[in-house]
Amino acid sequence: MHEAGLMRGLMARIQAEAQRAGATEVRRVRVWLGALSQMTPGHFAEHFHQVAPGTLAEHAALDCDCSEDPFHPDAAEVRLVSIDVR
Amino acid sequence: MTPTEDGTRTIQVDTLARVEGEGALYLRIEQGQLADLAFRIFEPPRFFEAFLRGRHMGEAPDITARICGICPVAYQMSAVHAIEQACGVALGPELRALRRLLYCGEWIESHGLHVYMLHAPDFLGYAGAVEMARDHRGLVELGLKLKKAGNDIVTLLGGREIHPINVRLGGFYRIPETARFAELCEQLKWAREAAETTVRTVADFDFPDFEQDYEFVALSHPDEYPMNEGRIVSSRGLDIDVTQWPDWFEEEHVERSNALHCRRRDGGHYMVGPLARYALNHARLGERARAAAAAAGLEPVCRNPFRSIIVRAVEMVEACDEAIRILEDFTPPEQPFVEVPARAGTGHAATEAPRGLLYHRYVIDDEGLIQEAQIVPPTSQNQGQIEDDLRAFVAPRLALDDDTLQWQCEQSIRNYDPCISCATHFLRLDVERT
Repeated sequence: MHEAGLMRGLMARIQAEAQRAGATEVRRVRVWLGALSQMTPGHFAEHFHQVAPGTLAEHAALDCDCSEDPFHPDAAEVRLVSIDVR
Repeated sequence: MTPTEDGTRTIQVDTLARVEGEGALYLRIEQGQLADLAFRIFEPPRFFEAFLRGRHMGEAPDITARICGICPVAYQMSAVHAIEQACGVALGPELRALRRLLYCGEWIESHGLHVYMLHAPDFLGYAGAVEMARDHRGLVELGLKLKKAGNDIVTLLGGREIHPINVRLGGFYRIPETARFAELCEQLKWAREAAETTVRTVADFDFPDFEQDYEFVALSHPDEYPMNEGRIVSSRGLDIDVTQWPDWFEEEHVERSNALHCRRRDGGHYMVGPLARYALNHARLGERARAAAAAAGLEPVCRNPFRSIIVRAVEMVEACDEAIRILEDFTPPEQPFVEVPARAGTGHAATEAPRGLLYHRYVIDDEGLIQEAQIVPPTSQNQGQIEDDLRAFVAPRLALDDDTLQWQCEQSIRNYDPCISCATHFLRLDVERT
């Protein structure tokens, strides 16, 4: 299940960024989903909420920006855009 | 990073989330000789066989469809055929034709995906389809449109293109409206020509000079290129009913991998998939597919796994051709399904997933509850052969630098269209040179 591996890596990155900023909580996560990434917002959210418990992003809101351009250079990718922390 | 009034700060990250590799290849090279090779799959165990225990048999098509987003139809088809066999139910020709049509859709979308998005970039020197699209936009567009033609069949019959919801024991929940058949037929005539173009295009790729003496294993049916039915045959003379699969094949757990490896009980590894189907069923191909294969210089038996991309393209021609025939000859069944009353027993089925033979076995009790389930996907069956190929392929190429070696090994693994190949950069290569 590629989603599981992808989400673990993504969450590790979110944790690391939040800890580097001295944050105690991640309030919002913004991601960009490429048109060929094989991810829909609902699918992504399911996996995100599965790995979030116990992390700083446990209660984070999720914003997914879906690209419809299959020829975007990162069309096959999922991009972590930004996180809001406190 | 200015905090807002409630102390919230926004951190711009802007990084790609990558799958860090679910497969790894370990090579130990001692004094220029290959001393050890191991292909590992890290993908976590899925436990689907355990999920099925205690569930009603009617749930099996929906549960097993979730095993794969690319070939859910294959899992559904093996599941329903095995359970119907346990319950002693057979379908009439109309429902049988619709199931074959659904499978055609899956072959087209799955092969289209692999040929254009995963395999062609290897041959044309790109890291993936998106990079390839910069220079070969037309190719990628053709591939996406072909894939969509397959998806549209699955949507029409399955209710949606991924994890279809219209398949049930005994047939379908509802029969699609024939009003949509004519439009789909026209789309498939375009797709058939596109698939023929694909055969010509990929036949011009440069293929490594590499052949192996495989034992090919596939279904074989007296009247048709096999999808849902047939006996299990091999290029070394095996010819058995699908119920005998456990007598002739076994799964073994290999410590280094989360996927079970299969082998013949009385022999070694074997190959399932397009090369095997094609070699064992060339005579059952329709005229157009056979003509496309011949024009591409493909012999009735092909032992070069790199040329499997041509065979997949030929099978797309066949699947389009067959789908058109079924749509044109379609007679609606009287009922969308036949009843499948529960009966205690064991059922077996094997169908031809795009990646190869997919075997299911279910033990059902008299209330229709699943007591035991066994699912043997083609990637498990091919895994031993993938390692054998790698050993033979790598040995004369050990002098290559690690990057080139990794590229060629990935390509060699991708010949099998293993499920893990969906990730473009899926392979971690560990080379120990002493």
